[in-house]
Amino acid sequence: MDQKTRDDLLKLFQDKLNEAMKFYLETCTRCGVCTEACHVYASMGQIKYIAAYRHEIVRRIYKKYFKRRGKIWPSVGEARELSEMALEELYEAVYSCTGCRRCMVYCPFGIDTQMIMSIAKLLLIGAHTEPEILTLLTDTSVEKGKSLELFKKGFLTGIKNLEKEVVKKWKIEAGETAIPVDVDGADLLYVALAGAVPAAAIFNAAGENWTLSFFEAVNFGAFVGDPTKTKLILDRIVDEAKRLKVKEVCICECGTAFRVMKQLSGKQPFEVSSITEVHARYLREGRIKVDKSKFREPITYHDPCQIARNGGIIDEPRYILNCLSDDFREMSPEPKYNWCCGGGGGLVALGEDNLDFRMKSAKVKADQAQETGAKILTTACENCHTQLIDLNSHYEMGVEVKFLSSMVADALMQ
Amino acid sequence: MTEDIKVDKVVDLKGMPCPMPIVKVSKGIKDVEVGQVIEAITTDPGALADFPAWAKTSGNEILKTDQQEGLIKFYIERKA
Repeated sequence: MDQKTRDDLLKLFQDKLNEAMKFYLETCTRCGVCTEACHVYASMGQIKYIAAYRHEIVRRIYKKYFKRRGKIWPSVGEARELSEMALEELYEAVYSCTGCRRCMVYCPFGIDTQMIMSIAKLLLIGAHTEPEILTLLTDTSVEKGKSLELFKKGFLTGIKNLEKEVVKKWKIEAGETAIPVDVDGADLLYVALAGAVPAAAIFNAAGENWTLSFFEAVNFGAFVGDPTKTKLILDRIVDEAKRLKVKEVCICECGTAFRVMKQLSGKQPFEVSSITEVHARYLREGRIKVDKSKFREPITYHDPCQIARNGGIIDEPRYILNCLSDDFREMSPEPKYNWCCGGGGGLVALGEDNLDFRMKSAKVKADQAQETGAKILTTACENCHTQLIDLNSHYEMGVEVKFLSSMVADALMQ
Repeated sequence: MTEDIKVDKVVDLKGMPCPMPIVKVSKGIKDVEVGQVIEAITTDPGALADFPAWAKTSGNEILKTDQQEGLIKFYIERKA
């Protein structure tokens, strides 16, 4: 690595060193409490997957360039030069970590592995060694924000074609629109992923004054760890919500999209909610009713890490499930300790390249779900849903993987 | 007309959720030479927004988009 490249990367490193980050980098006592907390270590048993080991790869570079002892006496200070080899280690550390933060709830100091890994992701971007596909997906999302006219007509046609499916789930009055788009003054802006059929049926059933966003919810900028592009992708939705003067932005079943919008959008003239919160609210207020006889088999729920542990949405899915079933079975006595599905942090978006790792590293999740004896495995995150389908197939779990919102839509009582 | 477009590779993306259509089409386009065409078939309505932005970002060209009952077909020429 030439000096200029190293200097540029160290500048990126320095930009991440706020007080919280310094605390995380200087506090670890290697107590080992985090060892069993990581689903990758618990499933595969290799030391390199312990959270503290991942931190250490970043921490040694920090010591070398940002701490006096590491600069003067690197061997004693356990300092490490930033080199191509170090970048390879950073890559393996960060793209085997889903950012689930389970280790953080075990750590006595609350050290945030995801935050430390954000340094690694930024260095990989600076060195152009991040996964190419994540950057392409990120740039595609940014481009959509710049060129709404490029896809508006096709998007509206595609949405029109979905309306028949919505009406099959919930009949609407003549003259009403099954999927409203671009409605100025709507109360709620719904930000979807692929399609919006179950959500649309539920909004219509609840009599919600809603409108569908032109943009997809997922923020690939956050997956690849690029703060500038993360904000550009986020701002597309913030600007649309302000333009339409909505009171609430509701994010579909996408964990990262919800966490980014909820925690990084700053103070805005609208509330941010997850679709799970909204559905629980409709049920509590009696705005929708569901048929409890629709699902007769035992159900378990996978808490998406970015929605539950990192987003605080824990009671709402359970309220919904208890409305849908008399046989809801918890995976973990304490939901914040629920295992990650193994697909977060952009790993699912890497496709088949890492399928083998995703399956091996999430064995504990498959075991946890199977131990409940449930026949329906539901979740509220598209990323988790894809990973759980892969796990179901790989481990022959014999469950049906469903979105929670689809279950609500299927059980709607007209 | 679609009949005028010579397809060199078909990429079947039916049933794949976001972001798999873009992930797979990014790989599929690399399996043909510059100037050749792939036909990408998807059931994801989000692709109608994603594919034009992806083409612009990746430097490829969508020659034609066909929407049929539940199916969307993109004819994409590899440019880069």
